[in-house]
Amino acid sequence: MYDKILLTTMGEYMDEIIEHTLNLIQGDVELICIYVVETSVPFLTPKKVKEMMIDELKAKGKEILEDMAKGFDKPGITFRGLMVEGNPADEIVKTATNEDVDVIVMGTGKSIVDKHLLGSVSEKVVHSAPCTILLVRTAS
Amino acid sequence: MFEVIILIIALIISLIIVIKAADVFVDSIVEIGLALGISEIILGVTAAAVGTSLPEFGSAMIAILTGSPDVGVGCAIGANIWNIAGILGISAIFAGLITTRRQEVRRDGLMAILTTLTITAALFFIGEISFVVGVVLIIMYALYLWVLIRAQKSSKESEMKYYEDEKKRNLGKKTILMAVMGLVGLAIGCRAIVYCTVELSIMASIPEVLAGILLAFGTTAPEFFTVLTSAKKGLNSLAIGTVFGSNIFNILIGLGIPSLFTVIPVEPITIYFDAPVMVFITLLLLFLIKRGMKLTRVEGVILVASYIVYIVTRLYFF
Repeated sequence: MYDKILLTTMGEYMDEIIEHTLNLIQGDVELICIYVVETSVPFLTPKKVKEMMIDELKAKGKEILEDMAKGFDKPGITFRGLMVEGNPADEIVKTATNEDVDVIVMGTGKSIVDKHLLGSVSEKVVHSAPCTILLVRTAS
Repeated sequence: MFEVIILIIALIISLIIVIKAADVFVDSIVEIGLALGISEIILGVTAAAVGTSLPEFGSAMIAILTGSPDVGVGCAIGANIWNIAGILGISAIFAGLITTRRQEVRRDGLMAILTTLTITAALFFIGEISFVVGVVLIIMYALYLWVLIRAQKSSKESEMKYYEDEKKRNLGKKTILMAVMGLVGLAIGCRAIVYCTVELSIMASIPEVLAGILLAFGTTAPEFFTVLTSAKKGLNSLAIGTVFGSNIFNILIGLGIPSLFTVIPVEPITIYFDAPVMVFITLLLLFLIKRGMKLTRVEGVILVASYIVYIVTRLYFF
């Protein structure tokens, strides 16, 4: 039984992630939902554009966390939304360690092409997570 | 050979200087604008539209005013073709999917095609970019900017209070100095870019227009990183908006402003091949986007393939 769950989301396949997380819950649980605003940009990206990107990502993150909160608005679940800036994999692992969570739930299932072109956060987390991980297969 | 290597290194260094100087200049101008009490919405919209396009504008402006108009025209038109077919195509391939909103395509996409049609028609009928054409282009840009600011104001009504609070910052000497330094960096960098491009085109025995088209690979670096990063982060509106915004700016301001100072002669090859290709590529993008308001990986491949066909044709058949 898990008492403290860390849920990660980038706003995609939220219904599947919520469904699988609810299946894990058996009693009272503290649920931390993390959205990481990835702030890194290439060297020649204009500063104003970088600021605009961060603002848009924060607005998007706020919306996603609000939607997630609605999805977990159930008795026995204490929901906490968390928005942090940095490298997604590093921040997820850091939060899991600091919060001493029992399990990390995250979506996965990018195609091989996407994995090579975009990289895979879940693969990086798997290698350094301090706890159990539930990878929800989300790609169609 | 040694001279070619030196010129290529100088070109790359100049491009980096120009891109960074443009960044410093735009930042400082926004600060100065805020201190003068100009709305942050107006400044934000203008900075976003101008920011990534300053290297093309500066290079085109300096090239045209220093007697190499073909480099300037080639750079502006070449940048527009590369922005859509190259940058957006590559970004769609990497991100897998770039979505957009109908109202943005209606506003920015329509303006982009209107811009390319206007300049192509002007070139067909007049054969050069005259003062009158320049005035028309600049008026079109002013109207577009007005529409953008109006749209931004209505969509960010709630944030207005925040902007109002932010108004009227103190204007420091450092900000003015940075603006001047940014402008000087831009001018010197652009002059060096044009010099290196012209010299390289002479050594490689290629026409100056083609050299300008190839130069666009470098001057569009800010667009490239902005669009690719936005697409990968899922900020789709920013990705497509940057391309449309840059293409509109490159023609309306990039060619409009220099034509106020001198008549810009244009090579027949540009009038009958490059400009129509620019119209075709813009229409192709709109056609691909219109089907579901998205750009898929396959459509990205179509765009990149179109660019390869264009540049190979340009290099080997003309």
